[in-house]
Amino acid sequence: MTELLVKNACVIDPLNRISMEIMDLPIRDGRIVESVSSVADVIDAQGCLTLPGGIDSHSHVCGTKVNFGRYMSPEDMRAGRTARRGKMHVTSGYYVPTTFGNSYRYSTMGYTTVLEGAMAPLEARHTHEEFTATPHQDMMANTLFDGNWAIMEAVQKHDVRKAAAIVAWTLSAVKGYSIKLTNPGGTEAWGWGEDVSSVHEQVPNFNVTPAEIITTMIQANELLHLPHSVHLHCNNLGKPGNFQTTLETFDLVPDSNNGRQTLYATHVQFHAYGGTTWQNINSKAEEISRSVNAKPQIVMDMGQIMFGRTMTMTADGPMEFNLYRLHHNKWSNHDVELETGSGIIPVLYSKKSLVNCVMWAIGLELALLTKNPYQCLLATDNPNGAPFVKYPEIIGLLMSKRYRDEECATLHSGTGQRTVISSIDREMDWNEIAIMTRAGQAKALGIITQGKGHLGLGAEADVAIYPIRCRDVDPSTEYRKVTEGFQKTMYTIKRGRVIARNGEVIVEGANSTFWVNPSVPEEINVADDPEFVKKFKEYYTVRMSNYPVQDVYLPRGKCIRTEAMR
Amino acid sequence: MHQDGGDAVRVILETKNRSKPFLPIEAESIIPRNFLKGTDLTVYEGNKERDLSELFWIFVEGTAVSPDKVEVVLKGDTARIKRVGEYMDTGAIRIVGNIGMHCGNFMSGGLIEIGGNADAWLGREMLDGSIICHGNAGHYCASGYRGEKHGMKGGRVEVMGNAGDFCAEYLTGGEVYIHGNCGDMAGVEMKGGHLIIGGDATRPCGNMKDGTCTIFGTVRRMLPTFKKIGMQLLPEPQITMEVYTGDIANRGKGTLMVKPFGSA
Repeated sequence: MTELLVKNACVIDPLNRISMEIMDLPIRDGRIVESVSSVADVIDAQGCLTLPGGIDSHSHVCGTKVNFGRYMSPEDMRAGRTARRGKMHVTSGYYVPTTFGNSYRYSTMGYTTVLEGAMAPLEARHTHEEFTATPHQDMMANTLFDGNWAIMEAVQKHDVRKAAAIVAWTLSAVKGYSIKLTNPGGTEAWGWGEDVSSVHEQVPNFNVTPAEIITTMIQANELLHLPHSVHLHCNNLGKPGNFQTTLETFDLVPDSNNGRQTLYATHVQFHAYGGTTWQNINSKAEEISRSVNAKPQIVMDMGQIMFGRTMTMTADGPMEFNLYRLHHNKWSNHDVELETGSGIIPVLYSKKSLVNCVMWAIGLELALLTKNPYQCLLATDNPNGAPFVKYPEIIGLLMSKRYRDEECATLHSGTGQRTVISSIDREMDWNEIAIMTRAGQAKALGIITQGKGHLGLGAEADVAIYPIRCRDVDPSTEYRKVTEGFQKTMYTIKRGRVIARNGEVIVEGANSTFWVNPSVPEEINVADDPEFVKKFKEYYTVRMSNYPVQDVYLPRGKCIRTEAMR
Repeated sequence: MHQDGGDAVRVILETKNRSKPFLPIEAESIIPRNFLKGTDLTVYEGNKERDLSELFWIFVEGTAVSPDKVEVVLKGDTARIKRVGEYMDTGAIRIVGNIGMHCGNFMSGGLIEIGGNADAWLGREMLDGSIICHGNAGHYCASGYRGEKHGMKGGRVEVMGNAGDFCAEYLTGGEVYIHGNCGDMAGVEMKGGHLIIGGDATRPCGNMKDGTCTIFGTVRRMLPTFKKIGMQLLPEPQITMEVYTGDIANRGKGTLMVKPFGSA
């Protein structure tokens, strides 16, 4: 039995409606409890801001795609180098750091849970190996189904139960967490040198449309009672005028779950562009957030970009090729058999570029114009918009109109005409920031029942204590204190164990990987479906029996079972 | 020799015998400017930090007040000492024998003279100053580092012997003169500057964007993506060269000068 008492904590816990209360947090065996004995270790938080551990609901930190980014950019390994120190391994890299680099930096920022944004099912083993090497964060993997041939055949036959059965088999085989659709249909079309340019355009060879894929997968997701909703990267990412596609997509979404959203739309900043060319691109954040404000069934994340060098990586192959044609820098594309694809290129977001400035403004506008902070979460689609180490700056920008104005003054002079950022006066408060960085994420990912995202009785004791006296600091003027404070916790506690102190990680990690095993009725289990088995044998390069990820890849796996169709 | 002038200092570093002579030494601290304040410097031997005096016999002759009057001489078994002269901006380093990898990285001024051979990455991403190597140079002489888009940007590297593969990769400015032969892919991805090869080369200047490469020896496996645009008589030595432009596969505008086949 290990006990810990955090005293004098200024707690903000939106899910339990606690706002800046000075209180004690007793912790026993990794859980928040009523009280602890007098022999418990004591941490004095000195009245500093104490939040549930941070959750990143969309980040690319593990897997083949990220690793390919690493080997495409050996020059990045010259940045961010730290020597071995105490329990810390050597790290290097800035926008695609080593797995330990990611883990330590998340830990020192108070983040304890991360969802990997896109895992190709066929390459799941690698992802799980890297999860194990990201030792201080509990991990989950969005599993890609956007170009899955079996799914598209089921969609074509309007067979939701079949689609659900395929999802169930795949998720349990690859130990995935949720359904990810990346440019649904588009990545498959890219295998034939094409793309889809609207949700109602046919995917070549399959006679289905992205709209049909999205709606069928939403139904399948709810049929399986998965903890998270469908996680969607809309079609037409990064194209001027794409906000129409995004709005059309949002209009497809029914409200079919009482506990959470029915659609998680990720990095919406990249999907909120007006205009027709890069010359006349402008912000359509108002239209997008108006739609989201009217639809409680949708949650989005910002996909904020921050200026500087980074790497874009996504399963959206055709989009990366378009980017390559703009930049003529390094580029890679990858095809994952019957499942999906990917693309990677490095980018530099510059204040001299009007397009980049408009993108920067759109992300912030989305967050500020969305009324309910549970519906617009803070993320940069790490590392696509910016490496996650920029989150504290984004928090500063959201909390301070003055900081935004100062930044706007340094941007390309045309930014004001294309955006509305300078007319927005909203300044977020501590509670809203806590929602956008932990409570909202926990709710959207469906992990509140796993004890994440709050500090109520029985919750997992993931706690972040920041050196900010939030009662004395005025974020709208003292935003530097805010950004500095969020960069480095005084203490990051994971499952009741202090893992980081003042920016130093002090223990070896022992994370868990959450995965979902939905059980479906025997008669529709695809493992016994002769057609599915035959196609698998014909088209895959691996045998169906070798496809599932063995338990040894998840040394601390946590299985969430769901009952489908009951 | 400069004992009483007070206007120049020579620091002689002679290697001591080491119990593990194959362990590399990382010696980015060996640059002339650092010796103005004495010889109290550290280097890494493997993963252990060592005082300079643990690895070298140190002799100091004379005194100086400005770094450009500092000369560092390295003697003995120096072939495994890496990163000598990294970020050096003035003064001189003379190496009597061979030198290890990454000699003269990012150098922005001064002179490095190597009596023997240099290992790989000689003068990598150099900005200015000059390096003379009397022996051979290893691979990636005067190039960029892995993944970097710009190699050497200025200054001069002269190698009296041969150079290895990828000589002057991503060369962006300055001059590289190899008197002997080059290995494979000399001047690949060149973006500027001047590469002169006295001897032979194989597959030179692939994906060249700009700059000039002159080869006096035999070119093996000349790339087909270079277009001949004429002949030119060089002022010195007086040889008529064939002039090619390329690499046209990627709309490059570089100049590749090659001695006509069969000429003396």
